[in-house]
Amino acid sequence: MRFAAALSVLAAGLLVLGCGKSDSPEAGGKTSGLRFAVIPKGLTHEHWKAVEAGAKKAATEVGNVEIIYKSAPKEDDTQLQINLVESFVSSRVDGIILAPLSDQALVRPVRLAVQAKIPVIIFDSPLAGQVGKDFVCYIGTDNYRAGTLAGQRLGEVMEGKGTVLLLRYAESSASTREREQGFLDALKKDFADIAVIDPPQYAGADVNSGKKAAENMITAHLGKFEGVFCPNETSAAGMLIALEDRQLAGKARFVGFDANPRVIAGLRDRKLDGVVLQDPFKMGYQSVKQMLDHLAGKPVPPSTDTGAAVATPENVDSPEIYRLLHPLEAAVSRGS
Amino acid sequence: MVASRSRTAFNVGVILDFWARHKWVTPVVGLLGVVVFFALKSDNFAFLGSDNMRIVAAQTVQVGVCAIGMTFIMIGGGIDLSVGSVMALAAVTTALTLKAGYSCPTAVLVAMMTGALCGLANALLITGLRIVPFIATLGTLSAIRGLTRRLADNQVVRPPNEAESLVSFVQPLGSSTWLAPAIWMTLALGVAAAVVLNWTAFGRRTFALGSNELAARLSGIRVNRQKVYLYTLGGLFAGLAGLLAFANMREGDPTASAGIELQVIAAVVVGGGSLMGGQGSILGTLVGAFMLTSLVNGCTLAGWENYVQEIAIGAIIVMAVALDYFRRRRLTER
Repeated sequence: MRFAAALSVLAAGLLVLGCGKSDSPEAGGKTSGLRFAVIPKGLTHEHWKAVEAGAKKAATEVGNVEIIYKSAPKEDDTQLQINLVESFVSSRVDGIILAPLSDQALVRPVRLAVQAKIPVIIFDSPLAGQVGKDFVCYIGTDNYRAGTLAGQRLGEVMEGKGTVLLLRYAESSASTREREQGFLDALKKDFADIAVIDPPQYAGADVNSGKKAAENMITAHLGKFEGVFCPNETSAAGMLIALEDRQLAGKARFVGFDANPRVIAGLRDRKLDGVVLQDPFKMGYQSVKQMLDHLAGKPVPPSTDTGAAVATPENVDSPEIYRLLHPLEAAVSRGS
Repeated sequence: MVASRSRTAFNVGVILDFWARHKWVTPVVGLLGVVVFFALKSDNFAFLGSDNMRIVAAQTVQVGVCAIGMTFIMIGGGIDLSVGSVMALAAVTTALTLKAGYSCPTAVLVAMMTGALCGLANALLITGLRIVPFIATLGTLSAIRGLTRRLADNQVVRPPNEAESLVSFVQPLGSSTWLAPAIWMTLALGVAAAVVLNWTAFGRRTFALGSNELAARLSGIRVNRQKVYLYTLGGLFAGLAGLLAFANMREGDPTASAGIELQVIAAVVVGGGSLMGGQGSILGTLVGAFMLTSLVNGCTLAGWENYVQEIAIGAIIVMAVALDYFRRRRLTER
């Protein structure tokens, strides 16, 4: 019995050693062979593809950085993302670059990483922890400011009057909440005559659920609104289909947030009057760069705004908007 | 005085007997209750407006079509938890087929084949390896989802041409057929399924299998073969539902339709189906699916928060099963 126990301990030890051995040459020096885990909120949105391209661009520029790009399987499953962070902590990567699905729920696993002396950079969406203590820095769109851009654009195309319908994204998502707040505040400040319908309904994670919520909300407030705002890609895509089905596309003024091919086509057909664009490529790129700076002992700014711009039917073909609309093409051309 | 009291008692008894003998009464009355309630709750009866009713019906087709297949499986004493993943896989294969330049009819065929093959795989696991359906399909739920992601390369698949005929198939408003064609298809499939279940040997074998598998086997029914038919049929319906999901979103999203299996099972159960098998009807299932969609839509129109509809859906599921239990007890007591 005791022999068997000893044998199993020995086997387990060998196993651990074996695993450790394969890692050791990479984990050896601080500047050579670094492994960074980049954890987006999901994989299927265009946005996250651009983040990946940006992170990998920065990694190839430096040369000896390996990017492990992995996400929780579904965009709204916070629990799976927590597990993912924890498993990266136990696999001892050199840095974690995280877009938290929930600003509260991810604080605990991020603190776990800090205890294990693994630096964490937060990107895309805020985390309710202390910058400099729980995480190194925040890199992303100033979502509140981007939201005010949406509010200003919608206020302009509505000429300062009428009623706006707001389709919120999800209860737990801090980034979209800030966009919604910025949007509402911009309307209140500069377009006080515009009324807002703000029902307690949410679009949810995919186009299917977004379309359903949009259909129900349009029915509930039919004829009572002249403008619409949606705070992310899937809610805007769902709303666009719902408006098309109702023959309202092009009649209601419509501003969305984040682009996909359908939304861009809608913009060209003037079914949308504006789309707020972020710079996800820059988020991925800057995150890796600042992680390297931090590991090299250089100070990094606590917060970096990667900027936002409004695409309109008029400026959609300008070079700056083209770069934001096609981050992957731009990445290829920049790489070559 | 005495006479009038006995007459009312007599009338209540007649109503209760009618209720006990006809299993469709519970879901239909429940649906009427939900509809009347939300009609009164919404401004100017907006809930009952023809546009809104057409939208609710169009929102029901995915769960509805999938639930027709699930009704067969559950009457046969089984369950299929993998339908959400099968729907996503079918949506992605549809999108890939269109992207490769094939025509819409080909894509429809591919979606149905995808679903049927997944159902067949479930059936072979259940009959060949003798794994209980709950576990076997729990496994394929995950495996098929993974396969879907692999096939789609973790991306939303967007066919270049937007497959107009498919898209207009699910459009709730503005179609020449008043209701979206997908709703007519769902109703036609429902009628066909009800005929098969109630008036054919296949239907009788299904009920026999679900009521008592051993007795069915002893009376000469080829139990395993029947199961293969049922799960393949269920998969076929899930594939069709996936096609509808693709048409609705106009893209093949490998992460979509997750968790929809619970809505599908809820629709069957609210419609009088039982996890123990041998119970259920197509009419009940479709009414159940429509009731659950109406509830979500009605809560939006009434301006209520999401949690209200979640609590209400839970209450309706439990109430439906409890009422069905009392109904059957009354029937057996007589």
